[in-house]
Amino acid sequence: MERIKGMRFFDPHIHMTSRTTDDYQALADAGVVAIIEPAFWLGQPRTGVDTFRDYFNSLIGWERFRSSQFGIKHYCTIGLNSKEANNERLAEAVMEILPSFLYKEGVVGVGEIGFDDQTPAEEKYYRAQLELAKEAGLPVQIHTPHRDKKKGTQRSMDIALEHGLDPRMIIVDHNNEETVKEVLDRGFWAAFTIYPFTKMGNERMVEIVKQYGSERIMVNSAADWGISDPLAVPKTAALMHESGIDLNDIHLVTFRNAIAAFAQSGQIDEADFDTVKDIDQSLKFNGSTVLRGGQQPRIDKQSNIIR
Amino acid sequence: MEQAYYHDRNNTEALLFDIIRQHSTEQALTWIAQQQEKLGEPVSVQRFNLTFTAIPRFTGRQVISTDTPFIEVAPDMPFFIQGYTLDKLVRVWWLLQLPAADRELYVKVIEGLFDAADMNEQAALYSALPLLAWPDAWVFRTTEGVRSNIGPVQEAVMLHNVYPSRHLEEPAWNQLVMKAFFTDKPIHLIAGLDERANRQLAAILTDYAHERWAAGRKVHPLLWRLVGPFITEDNFADIQRVWHSEVNVERDAAALACASSTYGPAQALLAQSATLEAEVASHRLTWETVAARIA
Repeated sequence: MERIKGMRFFDPHIHMTSRTTDDYQALADAGVVAIIEPAFWLGQPRTGVDTFRDYFNSLIGWERFRSSQFGIKHYCTIGLNSKEANNERLAEAVMEILPSFLYKEGVVGVGEIGFDDQTPAEEKYYRAQLELAKEAGLPVQIHTPHRDKKKGTQRSMDIALEHGLDPRMIIVDHNNEETVKEVLDRGFWAAFTIYPFTKMGNERMVEIVKQYGSERIMVNSAADWGISDPLAVPKTAALMHESGIDLNDIHLVTFRNAIAAFAQSGQIDEADFDTVKDIDQSLKFNGSTVLRGGQQPRIDKQSNIIR
Repeated sequence: MEQAYYHDRNNTEALLFDIIRQHSTEQALTWIAQQQEKLGEPVSVQRFNLTFTAIPRFTGRQVISTDTPFIEVAPDMPFFIQGYTLDKLVRVWWLLQLPAADRELYVKVIEGLFDAADMNEQAALYSALPLLAWPDAWVFRTTEGVRSNIGPVQEAVMLHNVYPSRHLEEPAWNQLVMKAFFTDKPIHLIAGLDERANRQLAAILTDYAHERWAAGRKVHPLLWRLVGPFITEDNFADIQRVWHSEVNVERDAAALACASSTYGPAQALLAQSATLEAEVASHRLTWETVAARIA
């Protein structure tokens, strides 16, 4: 990690709701200055619309504040995730409250939406949310399925184009060796999730950047409630540096490209990355603060390689 | 009127209760009898729910042992109870105590249990799917179980459960099988695996294998069991790749896949190895032996 000291990183996909303050400290120490938290599934299905409302509220409220206390600028994307789109009764209710959240400050896109099982219900709500994104002029963060990924990715792109969205407004996430070429060829942004075991490893990521370059490519951690690594972005930058990848390319895929893609929302001002650093520990959000004083940053001596 | 159960509820209940009686203390049996009585007529939904949740406190959670791994609840319909804990068995039996005549009420009460269920309750509920009344009512719930992120819950839906193969439409069935591979389940324990094999699933699994290979990961040998009957010129190169694997169990899987194929080149490939061909023919090599070796 010494090699990348002083570099600044942007993680455009990380579920901080599921992470601890240790992770926030480690992110700040590693040079992550801003993050995007997509609305997603919490690991088990919700049973009512109120828990969705509270979750969306926490993304623009408490979690943003918690992040600021570590000097990290927090943005989010708001959407009805594909898994829970299958509960149609609930999905209808969520769609009623969703639009108002899309226009909140710091909401940089509609996400993460798309396909999981690739059911008709998932398609219905994916399409409905693409329309909302179009009207709001917001980028779309597409979650591509773990299973039957290649077809699911193609279908997600086909449908977005069918709805008249510009591929430059769409970030296709969770790519791998099998999907990247088509995503880039068709003009979409290609995001890669560095996530142990199930998604990309960062050694593979290095090979992808060597092969495809740095245009419209970005990496993220998608760290969540599973075994994941919130430091995936800086660790991948370090590994790229070690592997002889040009510093400018590293800068593009771990910082600049993601900002360029999501700043199309009009909601990202890079000056905020610095102002958020003026951490005032006395600040409270609804009477709560996360910093109790005396906390030491976690020192992570583990390898930079994530498989 | 449409029949609520497609098995003989009274008979199933008696079979389950025999096993419960053999494994329970007097105290537990007394408690169960009291709950039955308190359930009342018409039933108190509150009592039904309370009892369902409270069962482990009064029965204990010991693993039961039986002579056979399943009970036969209807012709060709085994209900697996191997490895069950007593509380799980009592919960399944208790579900049969809810009157089913009023379909709307029945479904509402059972859905209420699912919505508030902890992990063990979910496992009991999903395992009980084949025994629940109004079988058509649980299709969406089954897909929710497949969507679960919790291992024991996924297993309750996927393994030894005859409900999904009998009631899921093809895309949902394919999703179940695909997710089972994705989460490293013992694939051979999926009920109806071969009967519901289909061309679309074979294509999904072949794409998945390509993705695994591109990532430098291994491909589960049993995946080829579901591709075998659908080998064509499009995926034959994949079978050849597995056939030439350095790993024995993968070569065995390729041989079995070829044996299940009517595609000429696949049969010719199998004929290249007299040894493997003979082992398949004599049933010394089967998908079960492959499964046993990777377990």
